[in-house]
Amino acid sequence: MSTEINLHELAEKVIKLGLSLGADQVEAYTIYGAARNVQLERGSIRRFTDIANSGLGVRIIKDRAIGMASTTIFSLESIENTVKNAYSLAKVSPPDENFNSLPEDKRSTPDIDGCFDQNIIDLSVEDFTEMILEGVQEAQVRDDSIIGGSFTTGNGERFIINSQGIDRFSKQTSISGYLSVKLQDGDDIGNAYYFDSSEVLGNFDHLKVGKEAGKRALNMLGSQKIESATLPILLDPDSCMGTISPIISSGINAFNVFNRTAYFVDKIGDAIASEKLTITDDPFYPGGVDSSAFDDEGVIPQKLNLVKDGILTTYITDSYTAPLVGLENTGHASRGSFAARPKPSTYSLDINAGETAKDTLLEDLKEGILLIGSSITDMSGNPQISAQINQGFYVKDGEVQYPVKNAMIGTTVFEVLERIEDFSKEQQNRHGHKSPWMLLSPLQVSGGK
Amino acid sequence: MLDTLEKVINKISISSKDFVDIRYAYAMGESFTVRNGRFDSVSNQTTGGVAIRALIDNAWGFTTIVNIDEESILKSAEKAIRIAKIGSKFAKQDRMIKDDWVFEGKGGTKLEIDPREIDKETKFEKIAQTEKAAREFSDRIAETSSTYRESHSKEFIVNNKGTTVENENHVVRIMKNVVAREGTEMQSVFDSIGGAGGWELIQKWEPEKEGLKAAELGLKLLSARKPPSGLMNVIMDPSLTGVFVHEAFGHACEADAVIAKQSVLEGKIDNRVGVEEINVYDDPTLPSLRGSFDYDSEGTKARKRTLVEKGILKEYFHTLETASALNMEPNGSGRAMNFNFTPLARMGNTYVDSGDKSLEEIAELTKEGVYLKNSYGGYVMPAKGQFYFSCQLGYIIENGEITDMIGNVGMSGMTLEVFENTYAVGKKWEPEFLGTCGKQGQGIPVTAGGPDLGVSNIVIGGSQ
Repeated sequence: MSTEINLHELAEKVIKLGLSLGADQVEAYTIYGAARNVQLERGSIRRFTDIANSGLGVRIIKDRAIGMASTTIFSLESIENTVKNAYSLAKVSPPDENFNSLPEDKRSTPDIDGCFDQNIIDLSVEDFTEMILEGVQEAQVRDDSIIGGSFTTGNGERFIINSQGIDRFSKQTSISGYLSVKLQDGDDIGNAYYFDSSEVLGNFDHLKVGKEAGKRALNMLGSQKIESATLPILLDPDSCMGTISPIISSGINAFNVFNRTAYFVDKIGDAIASEKLTITDDPFYPGGVDSSAFDDEGVIPQKLNLVKDGILTTYITDSYTAPLVGLENTGHASRGSFAARPKPSTYSLDINAGETAKDTLLEDLKEGILLIGSSITDMSGNPQISAQINQGFYVKDGEVQYPVKNAMIGTTVFEVLERIEDFSKEQQNRHGHKSPWMLLSPLQVSGGK
Repeated sequence: MLDTLEKVINKISISSKDFVDIRYAYAMGESFTVRNGRFDSVSNQTTGGVAIRALIDNAWGFTTIVNIDEESILKSAEKAIRIAKIGSKFAKQDRMIKDDWVFEGKGGTKLEIDPREIDKETKFEKIAQTEKAAREFSDRIAETSSTYRESHSKEFIVNNKGTTVENENHVVRIMKNVVAREGTEMQSVFDSIGGAGGWELIQKWEPEKEGLKAAELGLKLLSARKPPSGLMNVIMDPSLTGVFVHEAFGHACEADAVIAKQSVLEGKIDNRVGVEEINVYDDPTLPSLRGSFDYDSEGTKARKRTLVEKGILKEYFHTLETASALNMEPNGSGRAMNFNFTPLARMGNTYVDSGDKSLEEIAELTKEGVYLKNSYGGYVMPAKGQFYFSCQLGYIIENGEITDMIGNVGMSGMTLEVFENTYAVGKKWEPEFLGTCGKQGQGIPVTAGGPDLGVSNIVIGGSQ
């Protein structure tokens, strides 16, 4: 173990202490790591950061009531207080009759290649900086380009132990970063950014981050307001993933299904989308940024087919929600942080490719909107979507005419899935998240003209 | 704790033109949620550690550490200085912090009733009754939840210029959320109260009344008209005016964005940015609001900021660094979420001041359009000056009258056009938008508000 603190011993202490206090079941979730960040401003280095990134989350069950507590302070006193806090909350909380048990899973932990790279840990601040400045150079599409950005490397270890026999360990590394480019000609502003992330240093394309950010900012110059109309929408792979992923993740999440807020309640076996749509979820994709050998409760997940030819095939579940929707635990528990209670979430979605060339999809578009890195999503969580077009282009007779300014798309999640007309045969693979170009038949576009 | 930090700062040897500060931040919070009749989350959170910033030869180094002994803090400070020195080899812009601003003092939120003294059962009861009243109202109410949160934080700040500050913040909040559903049609209603203070801010929450109010509105929204689409006149209620003045205008007033050339308000001080009736302030010294505090995370004393006076831009939000760079005065805007983050230029309680029109008068001036209410939040692209907000509901305005209700819808516009296109300002400003503002991964409590505002040429993203 590379850290000064023995996380496993710490987690075992939590279990023992919790049980000795009188808990029925106890779970300890610990992360211990570090993050280094380089912040850029106007193309130059502004700040280096080197921070601790650690925490302990404790879940205690007493008479079917659940208490949780967390801390970032790893002293013995703090750990003990955290366990006591979780226990005292469980004691005063009303019981949850739907709670069965923390999970058990005796299977051995599978190996996934490409989730840890010593080169990221060994990367010196100087080499990291040189790399970032090479990216900045690529983003410098004009002398007056205003370039900002942020790059981070991280490494961490994770232990999940519970009193039902779960005992898992993983370690991972990551590198991520974005550059934003702003170009200004009087009142005309071209502004765009590009982001990438990877678990392995060699797979992180810092030059592409710069190149794409610069190219996209140039493309956004000369934007115009358009009139409201009903138009077909062509989405690039990032826009396609950004649109489909939240609909699916939220729509088939067993927690939402049980609470009747999922879009697709009682829809397993029913058509929820155009027959063009097939999606799988792969937790084990080698080197995937969201790949994991076990979920945030320590359960080994499954590679799942979620939607097949437009038919919903399953929901995603965790230990709490699986019995509530009458399915097996699919191992999709996910925590926003060590302090949070897990809820189901997807890993790496693979939206199947079609058979049409992406260039043909564009050439055949008589009139429409092309979205680049701009998803059709809404903040409300409701099926109604009222989405701003952040990076969109007006297309006429198969040719991109100009970027659109101040326009929105009004639709619903159901309409989006039903109106999938075609997917491109080309598929982008962003470290496990795979998506093609997607053509939607006409949707309501509100223009600012 | 201040003694330890002062001992460390006195041991650090750097040039007087450079800057180092050390901040110890500790926070404890509790959060309880009841959902569909079950306690969904009952938790307690503790965070604590020391943050060290060093500005050496135009570059920053920033480190954090959870150990709070003198030796560990000193070691971490030396590391911050070391990485700042590496950064300085690559830095191309001048950065410094002036010697002029030294603060000493102790501040804190006033607590009438310390929520830590209230037993958990009383807190559980407030949310359980709220949720139950909503749930039992109709079988078309699909999901009901209510959450109670409190947090108590302390910061100790010292720097090499002489600042020594100790500050405490206490924030409480109670929320309700209802999702009404009929087939595939869903509508959500969310509301909350709370602020910087104690249990006295929660006492006025009447659980049954609040639960029923949310459920009733949820059902009404299920049969509301579909929202229209296109360019139109809009009346924004105090919540939406608040989200606009915070998200679109306020973020563009943050001096770090201005210096980074990522704000449409760069170079606009003393320029007209709105009609004469527009006055915009941010005041962290207002009592009991979510964005109220005495000292910021750099130790600067907080004060009221005049952002816009009679339509003219007057002030940005400053950290010590941005005030030095732009040769302006710091105004206590350097806020950090916890020890693991650096202070950034942030808002507190931002609002458009009151005007002289009643809602009926504004509707009459609007003639045809929509009256939008209750923000869900939004986002903005400050460099481009384009914003997007989502709202829970609204009403159609026909022939100058507020008529049929419409369901949730988004709106989009250009930041610099809104105050220029304002044709009416309502009589009373209300702090209606209670939010957690996100910037560079940091969420901090804020309040925003304003009066009803009549604005032309806003894009509404309905499906009809």
